[in-house]
Amino acid sequence: MPLMPKRVKFRKSQRGRVKGNATRGNTVAFGDFGLQTLEGGWLSAESIEAGRITAAHSIRGEGRLYIRVFPHKSVTSIPLETRMGKGKGEPEFWAAVVKPGTILFELAGVPEATAKTALAKVAYKMPFKCRLVTRTAKGT
Amino acid sequence: MDIVKLPTQPRTGKGSRPAARLRKEGLIPAVVYGHKQAPVSIALKYDDLSQILRHHHRLVELGLPGGGETALIKEVQHDHLGKAILHVDFERVDKDEKIVIEVELKLKGTAPGSSSGVLDQPLHSLKVECLAAQVPESINVNISSLLLGQAIHVKELVLPPGVVALNDPDAIVIQVKTPTLEAEPGAVPAGEGGAEPEIVGRRVKAEEPAAAEKK
Repeated sequence: MPLMPKRVKFRKSQRGRVKGNATRGNTVAFGDFGLQTLEGGWLSAESIEAGRITAAHSIRGEGRLYIRVFPHKSVTSIPLETRMGKGKGEPEFWAAVVKPGTILFELAGVPEATAKTALAKVAYKMPFKCRLVTRTAKGT
Repeated sequence: MDIVKLPTQPRTGKGSRPAARLRKEGLIPAVVYGHKQAPVSIALKYDDLSQILRHHHRLVELGLPGGGETALIKEVQHDHLGKAILHVDFERVDKDEKIVIEVELKLKGTAPGSSSGVLDQPLHSLKVECLAAQVPESINVNISSLLLGQAIHVKELVLPPGVVALNDPDAIVIQVKTPTLEAEPGAVPAGEGGAEPEIVGRRVKAEEPAAAEKK
């Protein structure tokens, strides 16, 4: 089941804009390798789940997977063939607001080759351009 | 560790625009502070700095206008992707001064227990106290005899002479855990009304009309 908050203050949120770059959550913190997004936008709970399943299949029980983003934002939509007006639509899905540079997933306890293969497969599932980052290789 | 000479040049402009102009010219803005002296703004060549960082040098001999000064690379600021270097902080130190610094932990060998378990490393760097001239490049952790269920603690690390670890001695550096199937983090079970999250304060609002009817 895709991720979603257990309790929220409001069911619906305004759309907002994704501005600027990630100043937090942009370094590999828990694992050895990470998948970093190069673009900003909304990452749906379904995409996060797809990435989690892909990574779990790829590492086959070895190592540990960390999911660094959480879908806090509800995105609403109005049904098809409905006239405009009559208020805001109903929540359609939950999404994480992601800025360029955010680390989406991290892997620990696996060799580099395995991590590269796994995160490359995860990157296919993401709606953004992504790159693999390691804990130590900064400024390269 | 060797002390490397790093040529610098004085920097006059302050703020983001002069800094951006410097970076376009292939220079990195930096600052030198410490020892209760006034901070000095400097600029240095990107290539010189990246070479020093690539070789994991921590202590440098800065060529300042007023004479050379030994300094420690305190902080390196990167851009949001961790690619470009934006700014560097240097802290003045004496070679025979004791400093507290984070040193990287490097794993050596292959743990025999990792074939049946999961290698978990909660600690990637160690906070140590040592002389400025004796800062180790890294601390090696030999994991070639680590079996399933075993762990290496901070107190079991072999440190170079003159280096004292400041972390909790019982803190785990690395361990081999039994693999466990983890539950989906944060997912709401289907039986607990997982389709929609609970609204904070909704119940209070629902009770208000009922209370009004009673009156």
